[in-house]
Amino acid sequence: MRLPEFKYFEPAYLDEAIDLLGKHGNDCTVIAGGTELVVALKQRLQNPKYLISLDKVPSLKNITDKGDSISIGPLCTLEDIIKSKLIEEKLPALRKAAWEVGSPLLRSVATIGGNICLNTRCRFYNQSLFWRSSREACFKAGGGVCHVAKKESHCNSAFAADLPPVLISYGAKIKLRGAKGTRVLPLESFYTGDGRFPNELLKGSREILTEIEIPLPQGSYAGSYHKFRLRGSIDFPLVGAAVRLNINDEKICEEARIILTGVGPAPVEAGQACAKLVGQKLSADLISTVAGTAVSEIRPFKTTLVSPRYHQKMARVVMAEALREAGGFK
Amino acid sequence: MKKTIHLVINDEEKSLSVDVNKTLLEVLREDLGLTGTKRGCNQGECGACTVLLNGKPVSSCSLLAVKADGKTIVTIEGLAQDGTLHPIQKAFNEKGAIQCGFCTPGMILVTKSLLEQNPKPQLAEIKEAISGNICRCTGYVKIIEAITSLVDS
Repeated sequence: MRLPEFKYFEPAYLDEAIDLLGKHGNDCTVIAGGTELVVALKQRLQNPKYLISLDKVPSLKNITDKGDSISIGPLCTLEDIIKSKLIEEKLPALRKAAWEVGSPLLRSVATIGGNICLNTRCRFYNQSLFWRSSREACFKAGGGVCHVAKKESHCNSAFAADLPPVLISYGAKIKLRGAKGTRVLPLESFYTGDGRFPNELLKGSREILTEIEIPLPQGSYAGSYHKFRLRGSIDFPLVGAAVRLNINDEKICEEARIILTGVGPAPVEAGQACAKLVGQKLSADLISTVAGTAVSEIRPFKTTLVSPRYHQKMARVVMAEALREAGGFK
Repeated sequence: MKKTIHLVINDEEKSLSVDVNKTLLEVLREDLGLTGTKRGCNQGECGACTVLLNGKPVSSCSLLAVKADGKTIVTIEGLAQDGTLHPIQKAFNEKGAIQCGFCTPGMILVTKSLLEQNPKPQLAEIKEAISGNICRCTGYVKIIEAITSLVDS
């Protein structure tokens, strides 16, 4: 498979990149590491006339300690995240999530920004043009059918990035910069929940992700990320669970956030499960109950080769593992 | 659209005019005739197209050639010097860590990068390092033996 024809820009300044984005709008795509985009281009899932590379823009590759928060540039590679002493010390769950992505070959090129902006996936959509041509175009490909769930009237592709659940569990905010200025929004509101256009940028907001800021919670907190996939180093997560707990001296859980990936068109927050944790002392029984509740809050479709039922069963296992680790159980 | 890029390939400085819609793999194999780098899945999953970019292993099939501008690249052709095999190549030979040979360039380059960063890797670290390189002959035992023999010597 060859790449389609396109023009390639390497602006040296962010403003220049934003101008290009404003000028060419929907005909252009921003490229960071390109590990997902290059494959999508080969499969003709995207056909941009222009690619805007951010490689030459300085200031997008820093990891900065701001005291009560950590700021990460979107062009930091996953390997940069893994090797950062600061992240290892303050956000081990984020390091784990980055380490769980793909293989070392991919992690030295793929970026955190790219992972946040990852498109949703489906076994009927992420295929070559030839393969897809044997079926009617689905919602995600601009058609009017969902091959995964025929009765559904919308796209059910799954969001399967590893880093966003951890970032959301820590209350991360992102900065989007466009022609009209910069806006800051909590990462969860970046995702639309629409399988076709899963985030603000893919919806066509003509902005660039310029910074990710992760506040560090006060007091005693613990985070974890657990993931399940069929083929390590190749597959996207079937399910990933990020947990962040604040546990006080009496071992009572004061605050809890549970975010799942791979099981819906956006990261899913298991709110009912969190509610069952708050004010309680963690125990093996409670973890089992909470994992069960979390699973009842998700509705996976057959977007991969496994059945939704198996998907849910494994979600429960992964969920419980993540809770045990965050809660200090071995 | 073409773009001129400057890079160092196997210790040789080069200025190339490349199509912007070519991957590094296509430029290496087609424009430069360096066919030691293999095309496997062509989707960044199998590791057959591994090259070292500034010393780090990357899948050249999913990297645009223009993104290698200003960087140093080592391919499998860059390892043997004056007809003498590199010690890693010798170890793979001696331990029979080659079956069909298709994954071998990638495996050897990943090993080179691993040993440069970590001269005494543990078994788990070796397995982690080659996790992105798929051997369809499933000859992993011999490959790991070859890498371990380099650690011991």
